Order: sequence, then structure tokens, then C-alpha cells
Amino acid sequence: MSERPIIEIKELTKFYKGNDAPAINNISLDIFQNEIFGLLGPNGAGKTTTISILCGLFPPTRGEVFIDGMELRSNLDRIKHIIGVVPQDLALYPTLTAMENLTFFGNMYGLKGKDLQDRINDYLKVFGLEKAARKKVTTYSGGMKRRVNLIAGLLHRPKVLFLDEPTVGIDVQSRMVILDYLNEINKLGTTIIYTSHYMEEAENLCSRVAIVDRGKIISIGNPKELLREHPEFKNLENIFLHLTGKEMRD
Amino acid sequence: MFKFISAIRKEALILLRDKAGLIIVFLMPMVLIIIMSLLQEVGYSSINRETQVEVLFLDHDNDSLGIKIRRGLMGSNYFNLLDSLNGKPLTETEIKEAVKKGDYVIGIVIPPGVTKKIRSNVSIMVAQTLEGFGLYNTVLFGDIPLARADTINIYFDPTVKLTFKNTILSSLKQYNYQIESEMIFTTFNHEMAKAFPTYQPPDLVFKDAVEFHEVFPSYHKVEKIPNTAQHNVPAWAVFAMFFIIIPLTSSMIVEREEGSMFRMMAMPVNYLLLLMAKVFVYLIVCFFQTLLMILAGIYILPLFNAEALVLGNQIFALVVMTIISALAALGYGIMVGTLATTHQQAAAFGAVSIIIMAALGGLWVPMYLMAPAMQHVATLSPLNWALSGYYDIFIRGAGVVEILPESAKLLGFFFISVIITGLYMRVNNPMSK
Repeated sequence: MSERPIIEIKELTKFYKGNDAPAINNISLDIFQNEIFGLLGPNGAGKTTTISILCGLFPPTRGEVFIDGMELRSNLDRIKHIIGVVPQDLALYPTLTAMENLTFFGNMYGLKGKDLQDRINDYLKVFGLEKAARKKVTTYSGGMKRRVNLIAGLLHRPKVLFLDEPTVGIDVQSRMVILDYLNEINKLGTTIIYTSHYMEEAENLCSRVAIVDRGKIISIGNPKELLREHPEFKNLENIFLHLTGKEMRD
Repeated sequence: MFKFISAIRKEALILLRDKAGLIIVFLMPMVLIIIMSLLQEVGYSSINRETQVEVLFLDHDNDSLGIKIRRGLMGSNYFNLLDSLNGKPLTETEIKEAVKKGDYVIGIVIPPGVTKKIRSNVSIMVAQTLEGFGLYNTVLFGDIPLARADTINIYFDPTVKLTFKNTILSSLKQYNYQIESEMIFTTFNHEMAKAFPTYQPPDLVFKDAVEFHEVFPSYHKVEKIPNTAQHNVPAWAVFAMFFIIIPLTSSMIVEREEGSMFRMMAMPVNYLLLLMAKVFVYLIVCFFQTLLMILAGIYILPLFNAEALVLGNQIFALVVMTIISALAALGYGIMVGTLATTHQQAAAFGAVSIIIMAALGGLWVPMYLMAPAMQHVATLSPLNWALSGYYDIFIRGAGVVEILPESAKLLGFFFISVIITGLYMRVNNPMSK
């Protein structure tokens, strides 16, 4: 892990229209190059809002964000070239094939021709989708769709990859393939910011995690450090429940 | 440009793979145009032998006026006169009942002796005129007063259109005036012959002194007199064109709800460029949709004994008007698709607003039949601008120059819609590019 922050978040606050309570409340955070950083929190904690702001989808009410040394708002076009996004929803066109979906998304990053086709073929092979490449996405299983969803965010080989619950609702095999590949690209230099409800997954994957609740970071650190800080708990999930409570969230 | 072309390819593939959507987009407007044209053909246009209105006709007069009315109505080809029902001669009570029940829309009852009264009154008027010439003693109507006018009862179904009712009444009045005029001349001649034995009355031939010639002024040479297809095809083509906003807004909201928009907003591409790719593909759809409707007007409507659309010779103007009208419809579509937050909102608002703009724009009721205030409101509807442009081309033979005012308004509407869309996106999402 490098000591240079690739993402600097300063006093970030977001209020949605009509809501008195902030979705995120004065968050400050540095994420370093080559980290796999986990944003963990119950529903409505502010994870997706944070990722949406970091991807430039909407502005914060207050605060500043720097990505790779560039201020987000004034360098959005340049930043969009170096970040990749894998949304929580399956952001694919169901009546198009995997190949057609990926060609379109690749084109939007300015990729084309043989270079793009080679990249698509490589990723389809890595994720075991080469035989289904020319079938419509609507015929795919949930796991296959998740894998195509991930490839769409990787095609342009981003420096920073944002993943919003990338393994939700899929089989163990697909999850293993996805997590193994994330580890692999992280070793090759990609910084990963990842949200999940799966604590065990985060414990194994992330170099650091931030537990967020009601828009605030309530704990941050390496999962092993957190376990050392809370010796009364045997795993991250117990620490998470201790910090966020057992009350159900909307 | 390369991103734009890729987005066009994506939109085209999505559209082509939606078979049900394609049927709705192309087949439904054709069905609409055929059904509406046939309905309008029967309602307003050339009522022929097959579509004659049945009129219950009871003639107690059996003299000149009754005969004149019978011949006149039958000769018009608009009416089929019925003297009996179920093999039995009609009575006035039966006529009244049949019209009351809605079985028939018109019943005419001519009272007995009506012609005799007209003849008597005419004789008195002629005599009074001749008295001034000292010829009074040649006739014998002395102090006999003019007979009171008789009443012809006409029973109308309450649903009969006012214009149709007025046509019937004016026809009957016209027959009455003709009979009176003929009688005046005949009686006058007769009395003159009695007064002057050497006077040889001419054989009077009654014919109209004035003939009416219908002229349809046009910009360029129009090959045929305008018919109902000339009105119906453009009206329903414009209506269908604007209804394209339903699938357009739906595709936008699906992208938003399924997360594709989230991904695209995080990509280095201008979202408006992606919207314009959508507009481009739907523009082609609108163009072919209109082409199909025009072909239906030319080739399918005549198969149903309706009048065929006459394309005229301003094909380039037609292409220009179709593209510009489609742009206006699509601009409105992307605006509604952006402002609406759910499918339900977009579908309900989109459909209802198009229906309102169509009604206001004179697509259903011709503008000249609207109240003066509504005629002003009609000119604010983009559907009215499109329709006016098509009318100019189809009915008045207008070319590109003549349709410039409508084209400018429609293009303005397109640009305003796109600007509002862009501003809304900027206000709600200032970081999007």
C-alpha cells in the first residue's frame, strides 16, 4: 500500500432535498493507492451516497474531494477517465448480448477496434463467459449478470474502481471468481473502494474498512486492528453489530 | 462522433429486438389511421349508396311540394326515404316513436293539402299584384284572406349534429321556395292569358340563374380536389408521431431505474449526446411510421371504398415537415422522460398531454368550428403547427418556403424542450456533463 492518498475526502456532507438529517455528515477520509477499502454500514448509512459523490454523479452539499490529486468538480472529465464504477444495480441492457453491452460501454470510454475486442475477450475468458458472449443478457443467471456488470467497469483499466455491493445475490462460485480477480487487479495497482453487507467477505478482502452509520464514520482501520481493539468480539460482524446496533434500518 | 454512432447502434439494437414494441410503433398507427379515416369518411364526407341515411317519410300532400321534397332528397343520394315499416304504411305516431327510440335519426311528415294552400296563397298574391294594373276583375279572389302557412313536422334524433340538421332544413326550405316561385310564374302567366287573349304564355323552364363552382386555392398546382384522406392522414400521422413519446420516455426511465444511467453518468460522455442518439433512432422510427401511414392512405384506404390520399408533388416539403414534426415530438419526449420520475408519471402525463394538445390543435375538431377564444389557444399547440404544415403541403400544394413558419415554430419547440431538459439536469445534477 502506498502512502500517497489517491482519494482525499474533506468534510463531506450531503443533504437530500426534503430531508433534515444529512445522508453523510462531515466525513473526512484518505484512501491510499493500492488499497482495497471497504465502506461498511447498515441500509441508509450513506455508503451509496458517498460512492455516488466520488463518481461525480451529484455534488456534495459541503466539502471537497480530490482524486489522484485533482479536485473532483473542476476536473470531472479527466477523473471520469481514471475511475471505474460497478453499480449495485445490474446496469446492463438485457436485450443486448454481453459482447454488445461491453462494446457499447467500452466505446463510451473511447475504446474501439481490435484493442477493445481483445480486452472484452480476455475479460470474458477470465470470468468464464466466453461461450455466452453472444447470448442476450436476459438469458443469463444472476451470477453471470454480476460478472458482466463487473467487466463493464473494468474495460478501461481504471486506476480507481468503485464497487457498490458487487457480490450481492450470487452463488459462491461467482463470488469467488469476482473476489479473486479483484485481489489480482489490486496487486497490479488498482485501488478498490468497495461497499458490502457481507462482513466476512470484507474482513478477508479489505486492507482497511470504515464502518459508517447515519452518515458518519464510527470506526476505521485494518480489520485485524479492529479485532485487536475489540478483543471481546471474535469477528468483524460482531464488531459491526456492536457499533451500529441491532435495530433494523429502512 | 464515434461515441454518438455507438450509442445510435445500441439504441437501434434495443429497438429492433423489441418485437412487441415495433408492432405497437408501426402497426397500431396504421390501424388507427384506417379506422379513423373510415369513420370520418362516413361521418362527414361522401355518403354513398351504402352509407345513405334512412329517412322516415310520410307524404299526406301527394302534390307538388311533397313530390318535390321526395325527388330532391332522393336525388341527393344522401338519403334513403322509407314510406313503410315492416310492410305497413307509416303513420306520424310511428315516425315519432321510431325516432324517439333512436331507431331512425330523421322523420319528415308533410301535411295534407300543403301544396293547395301554397297554390291558393300564390293566386291571391298574383291577384293583388294584377289589381294594380286594373285587371282585378279578371280574377275572383276578392276578399279571400291569405291561408295560414302549414307546418311540416321534422323529427330529429337529439344526437343529430347541428350542421346535418341545418342542411336538411335548408334543403326543405329551398324546395318550398322553388315550388312557390314556379307557382307564381305559372299563375301569373295563366292570369295574363286570361286578361289578354292574344298573349301566348311561354313554356317556362325553371333553372338556377347562378351556378356554384368550388375552387381550392393552392400555392402550386394541386392535381386533385382535396378529400377526407388529405385531412385524416396528416392529422392522425401527427397524433401517432407525438405518441412516440410513450416508448421514448419508457426507454429513458428503464435506463434510470435499471442503473444504466448511473453507469453512463459516471462515464466520460455527455449524457445529452446519448439522449440525442436516442432522438436520432426514434426520428427514423417516426419517419418510417409516417411513411407507412401515408402508404396506408394511398393504397389501403381505397380497399375500404374510402378516398385515397393524393400525395401531390411537394415530396421534399413533405420529408422536411415529417422530420421537423418528429423532432418536435421527440424533444417533448426527452423533456417528459427527464422530468418524470416514474413510468406511471411519464405514461400518464405524456399520453394525456398529447391528447390535450391534439384536441386543442384541431386534430379532432377542425379549428374553424372552435369558439374564437379556443381558436387562439389552438395556435399554441405544436400538434397544430405540424398539422397546419401538412395541410399546407397536402391541401394547398405548399413547398418548403411556404411551410417555413410552421417549421420554425416546431424547431423552436424542439430546441426549447432540449434546453429545458439540459437545464433541469444541470440544476438537479450540476456535476453531470
